Amino acid sequence: MAEVDFSNQRALLIEDMAEARILQKKMLSDFGFKQIEMAMKAESAIELLRQNTYDVVLSDYNLGSGKDGQQLLEEVRHSNLIPNTSTYLMVTAETSIEMVMGAIEYQPDGYISKPFSQALLQRRLLKLVESKQKLYSVNQALDKKDYELAIKKAAQVTEDFPYLESKCARIKGDCFLELKQYDNAVDLYQTALKERKMPWALFGLAKAYFFKGNYDEAESRFRQLMLDNRFFVNAYDWLAKCQIKQNKIAEAQATLIDAVAKSPKAILRQIELGELSAKLNDFQTAEMSFRRAVFLAKHSIYSNSSIYFQHLKSFIGIAKEHELTGRQVDNFKITLKKIQKLFGDNPKIKSGSYEIEIELFITLDKIGQAKSAHLLYKQDIEMGLSVPKTERFIKKIEPLLGD
Amino acid sequence: MNKVDISVILASSIHESKNAVGNLMYQLQTLKSELEVPLEQVEKINNIEEGLKQLNDEWVEYLYLFKLASDGYDLQTETWQVNEFLDDQVFVLSQSASAKNLILDYQCDESLLANFDERLLTSVISTAVYNALRFANNKITLRAELRNDFLVFLIDDDGPGFSDAEDEEQEFLQNNTGLGLYFAELSAQAHTNKGNQGYIEKSESTILNGACLSIYIPQ
Repeated sequence: MAEVDFSNQRALLIEDMAEARILQKKMLSDFGFKQIEMAMKAESAIELLRQNTYDVVLSDYNLGSGKDGQQLLEEVRHSNLIPNTSTYLMVTAETSIEMVMGAIEYQPDGYISKPFSQALLQRRLLKLVESKQKLYSVNQALDKKDYELAIKKAAQVTEDFPYLESKCARIKGDCFLELKQYDNAVDLYQTALKERKMPWALFGLAKAYFFKGNYDEAESRFRQLMLDNRFFVNAYDWLAKCQIKQNKIAEAQATLIDAVAKSPKAILRQIELGELSAKLNDFQTAEMSFRRAVFLAKHSIYSNSSIYFQHLKSFIGIAKEHELTGRQVDNFKITLKKIQKLFGDNPKIKSGSYEIEIELFITLDKIGQAKSAHLLYKQDIEMGLSVPKTERFIKKIEPLLGD
Repeated sequence: MNKVDISVILASSIHESKNAVGNLMYQLQTLKSELEVPLEQVEKINNIEEGLKQLNDEWVEYLYLFKLASDGYDLQTETWQVNEFLDDQVFVLSQSASAKNLILDYQCDESLLANFDERLLTSVISTAVYNALRFANNKITLRAELRNDFLVFLIDDDGPGFSDAEDEEQEFLQNNTGLGLYFAELSAQAHTNKGNQGYIEKSESTILNGACLSIYIPQ
């Protein structure tokens, strides 16, 4: 096995159970890691990953009530918080009844099942680091987003180390998609599928067809993936994309409702479902999705004011059709407060929050409350805390205030 | 109270127990590293550790078995270096073998690549090896090779061999050998490719003269 010197390396350990955390930290320090940082939850891990670069990440799959290890991995990979050259090892409690392992888009470099001995962890880690070293030039190119180079390097690695062939083929496929060379991608995936029906190749092929605009071809393959593995929720997301492109919005919404039921903690999926539902004037579903998205946005890299505003807007949509329940009014106020607290020092966002608050009061026929909010809004504009009123507000909302 | 599906409840109880066993193992490991234990006690602690590990692996087997039998398992096949895979299995199981003064080794072509569900097969191999540990006299050997369109894992031992008892049902009920074989069979069958389905075969070992279990995985 490779001689790896961990003494210059920095590790991040993410584990919610105290016993396991203590023991794993001891294991890592026995391996010689110079620096070991620990997080108990995905949210604190993201903070650490934002600030530092780690050579090795050892993350548990089960992380208590917040995001799970897979969602954490997706977020940090999606936002490049962790370089491809780092080693990411996922710790799983084998066979959790509810475990969702079908993720294909974002994979860790390896898995290890709990409980494990120090010797086994060392062995896994060394082997992983060893193959990461062989793939170093490929991953370096990926980190620089030089996909042409990554393809070249991957071909070289395949030649030198045949056992890495399928890993390299996957990387090459991803690169073709990034480079928009969809015909090359289709060729590569079809060649791989001739050997065997590997989910990653089928998924890649479906995506390539999607980008080429062959939505029927894409749809049948996404459906196949859903049949092969019920937990492969990404296939639902992509099926919904196909349906949207084909203008089957209601079908797309149904697909996403299914996906959300299987995996409710994915914020991007909740946002997508919320937006789609608003488009369909289904504001009840929109409100529910954005409420969840607002909840998930806390500590998420995807947190931005638009999620909060869309949540608020969904209440106005509901209010136009029904009386709001007391609870809905409360939820509106909660999200409004969150915007003001999180983004209140941004005059544009502050202005937006006034306008939507006033609009809701008007929709609810509470002109008195609307007027007092309007007054505060005007004061804030004068003091420069809010930006001037939007044209829409002046034309559509202000006249309804009746003064 | 509504009628409940007892098998689901049992499965999740097993899951809880398995995690509890895992936790005990962690505590034991921590204890071992913190205490200066005299040599004769170390062996006792190792035995406890070994027992807990086998218990854990057994729970894992039962959970997979539950999922396979209730049609709730989604296969995750990938391409693996078979040689490395067997090396891993021997590494993890060698402590159990040496606790019984048995030799556990493997034979495999270094360049062999194959597709299978690694986690499931890990459980199948450990189940088969734990079983062989009860019968072997001196040695257990793991092998893997390609035969036509199948990857074959073979677990050989130098014990008395499979009894040709016709009362397999009896065997199934009396000990967990039958259950283990059933698990291996379901796991093999879960693997399908190009119209081929996996299966298992019991035979006499050609290399060690005891029992040989073959697990066929279509490629």
